[in-house]
Amino acid sequence: MITTDTPSIRLRAQGLSRRFGGLLAVSDLSLEIREREIVGLIGPNGAGKSTTFNLLSGFLASSSGRLQIDGHDVTGSSAETISRHGLVRTFQHGSMMRTMTVEDNILIGAIGGMRGGSRHERARRVRETAELVGLQHVLGETAGNLPHGLQRLASIAIAFAPRPRLLCLDEPLTGLNQTEVASVLATFRAIRDRFDTSILLVEHNMKAVMRTCDRLYVLHHGQLLATGTPAEIRENPQVLAAYLGNVNVD
Amino acid sequence: MQTLLQLFFTALQIGAVYILFALGLTLIFGVLRIVNFAHGQFFTLSALIVSVAVPWFANGGSPVWLAYTLACLCGVIVTSALGALVYEVGFKRVERDMTGSFILSAGFVLMIEGVFTKLFGGIVRPVPPLVDGNIDVFGISVAAQRLVLCGVAAALTLLLTLALGGTRFGKALRAVSIDHQAAMLQGISYRRIGFGGFVAATAIGAVAGALIAPVAAVSPTLGDAYLVKGFIAVVIGGMGSVPGAILGGLFIAFVESFVGFYFDPSVASLAIFVLVMAVLLVRPKGLLGHE
Amino acid sequence: MNERFFRQGLLAVALAALLSVAAGSGYAGNLVIWIAIAAVLASTLRFVLLIGELNFAVAAFFGLGAYASGAATTLWQLPFGLSILTSGVVALLASAAFGYVTLRVKGPYFLLIGFAFTEALRILYTRSEWLGGNSGMVGIFPPAVLGDYFPTFVVAVAGALILLLARIEHSHLGRVFVAIRDNDSVVRSVGIPVHAMKVLCFCIASLVAGVAGALQAFSNNVISPLDFSFMLSTFALAYLKVGGERHALGPVVGAVLLVLLASVAQRFGGSEQIFYGAAIVFGVLFMPDGLTGWLARRRTARAKTALPSPAGEMQ
Repeated sequence: MITTDTPSIRLRAQGLSRRFGGLLAVSDLSLEIREREIVGLIGPNGAGKSTTFNLLSGFLASSSGRLQIDGHDVTGSSAETISRHGLVRTFQHGSMMRTMTVEDNILIGAIGGMRGGSRHERARRVRETAELVGLQHVLGETAGNLPHGLQRLASIAIAFAPRPRLLCLDEPLTGLNQTEVASVLATFRAIRDRFDTSILLVEHNMKAVMRTCDRLYVLHHGQLLATGTPAEIRENPQVLAAYLGNVNVD
Repeated sequence: MQTLLQLFFTALQIGAVYILFALGLTLIFGVLRIVNFAHGQFFTLSALIVSVAVPWFANGGSPVWLAYTLACLCGVIVTSALGALVYEVGFKRVERDMTGSFILSAGFVLMIEGVFTKLFGGIVRPVPPLVDGNIDVFGISVAAQRLVLCGVAAALTLLLTLALGGTRFGKALRAVSIDHQAAMLQGISYRRIGFGGFVAATAIGAVAGALIAPVAAVSPTLGDAYLVKGFIAVVIGGMGSVPGAILGGLFIAFVESFVGFYFDPSVASLAIFVLVMAVLLVRPKGLLGHE
Repeated sequence: MNERFFRQGLLAVALAALLSVAAGSGYAGNLVIWIAIAAVLASTLRFVLLIGELNFAVAAFFGLGAYASGAATTLWQLPFGLSILTSGVVALLASAAFGYVTLRVKGPYFLLIGFAFTEALRILYTRSEWLGGNSGMVGIFPPAVLGDYFPTFVVAVAGALILLLARIEHSHLGRVFVAIRDNDSVVRSVGIPVHAMKVLCFCIASLVAGVAGALQAFSNNVISPLDFSFMLSTFALAYLKVGGERHALGPVVGAVLLVLLASVAQRFGGSEQIFYGAAIVFGVLFMPDGLTGWLARRRTARAKTALPSPAGEMQ
């Protein structure tokens, strides 16, 4: 094993594309996620972020290109397979089982990630995940009855329970107030630092994205417009022209 | 060649009834999202009424064609009334609840069929045909009555397709079928459309029953055999799709006619089942299904 | 809930079995058997409802189990225990194949394909001379050693099967099934093979239905294709709906009620069909949660606490 200065690449997508009827939602998309980094995927509405998410997680098949996770070729694999390679994603809407308790919700995540664990071990994973995210006091509540902020946390907990190496979150901050946002961002950083997890974030909250992400990918009309650190992106004239112009990113 | 033509025509005749049956089923599913197991009972009731009314009118001195027309009218009206009743009392409360409505319809099947058996007895009542004799079509001898059946079925199907595309009611039906919430936002009264759609579907089934009466063995369990086939037609074609119902009905009719001739009827039934599984494997929502 | 619940359940089954000894082997004994088998059937239906599907093919696997035992006993002279095992295995294998293909479709499509399958099998039995064709099979007798205690045996087995289903329902596997019904995308996203899990649920239910079919064959001694039509699936649905889907006891309550109702109706020469139908219609319209749901709601209303969220509405 050769140790180099460059961090290893967890996810590598090359030339992914997807067409819906006459519309080319995503074309020739290539991106990388390295270990222990938080990557943001931003772009205006309709830019193809959700499609990209679905392509990376196996919920949609790509019409071209390749996908690799930790060096394994998972091109064309099903969502379950990709998940077992360590990539778990949340959904923008309805990312949990509304009629089940919070505890059972997180349990499903634990079951997915712990093939062959004992009941006891899974229960422990559920407790630990709940504590990490801050839901330990509402484990017995029905998920659908929770206030919005806690529901968001629950969906993150479910996705993190299997301890994925790649956590892909689809607009996790929507509808959260400032305090909640700060708390969730701190959780992301904790997940990255303590558990060695890489995080891919689709978000509209520019302040949060700029503060938290190590790198950004900007999508526009289904294609990669620019990539770089938040500072670089902030200065990028193409990006500014396309999208960031009116947004206060201080 | 003769045989093929004969089988072809047999398929069309069988298909005519299946299509009408399937149209009713798919309409109800499209608008109300319910699987109406009891559709066969409306079909049967109409046939039963016709089988009783035709001799009654005929004995009253009316010529056969008048007796038959009156009997058909009776059948369709009474059956539609029953449909309206069943909807108001029952289905209205379980619209969009697939499981609940299915179970409810199963309950109705048991009740209604039981009542039929008590009222009409288990015997088969023959009905004199409207038009006697056979006609030669392309060298094939076809019972004139069956030709009338095909004709009416084709006309009704055409009428329905035109109505769905052209009339306000038809467009409202389609709108509700595609997106009921959006339709409601546009001001379409779901209640009225639901009611209208259900009764229209029942009426179509009643027409089918009235038409089949002269050529089938009319008994309280007449609808059962058509029920299975009707549902399979709708599944193949795609639930909620009118062209799908037509396609599915024809599909089954052709398999039944050809396979039934070269092998036997029960092999045809098995073949239909295997084919339906194959279709669903490739297109889980039926050939033309959406949603 | 768990351990105490199951200890109570075991006790209840033992009690029921003991009581059924009093029924003897005459008419009352047959009634007890009828109720027990009906309860099992309805319970398997409820089990598949965990993944959100209405299994109209329950009569098909019930029939497969019955015919398997019939063939095993009368054609191949297998001993009693082996016959029942055969029924279970046949039902399991058939349901695995059927479920693998058909569980890719949902809701009304799955329902209707189950309907078609039941009818197709019925036709197959009618055409199979080696299975007795239209007249069916005769001479399917339980071992003499059970003698008058056969109803007790059936009750014990039925109770054990229902308890088994309840046990699985409350295990982590059961949680997975319910999660699939609620939001199968999320279940997929954490790496659980959803299709395989649905097939597993279906197979477990069908295995139990097959064993119930074996019990039916041995208790009736005679089976014929008409016994296993879609009407049977409809009756099972009735037991479930009237008794209540939410509670594991619902199917049992429904079976007891409707079977007793039917036998009373028979005695008065009335058409039991109309009674069943009316019971179903009444149940759906006025007691959508069934009898057990209604009782549960009265109990919590009296306790004056809010009703906890339902376990999953069917849509």
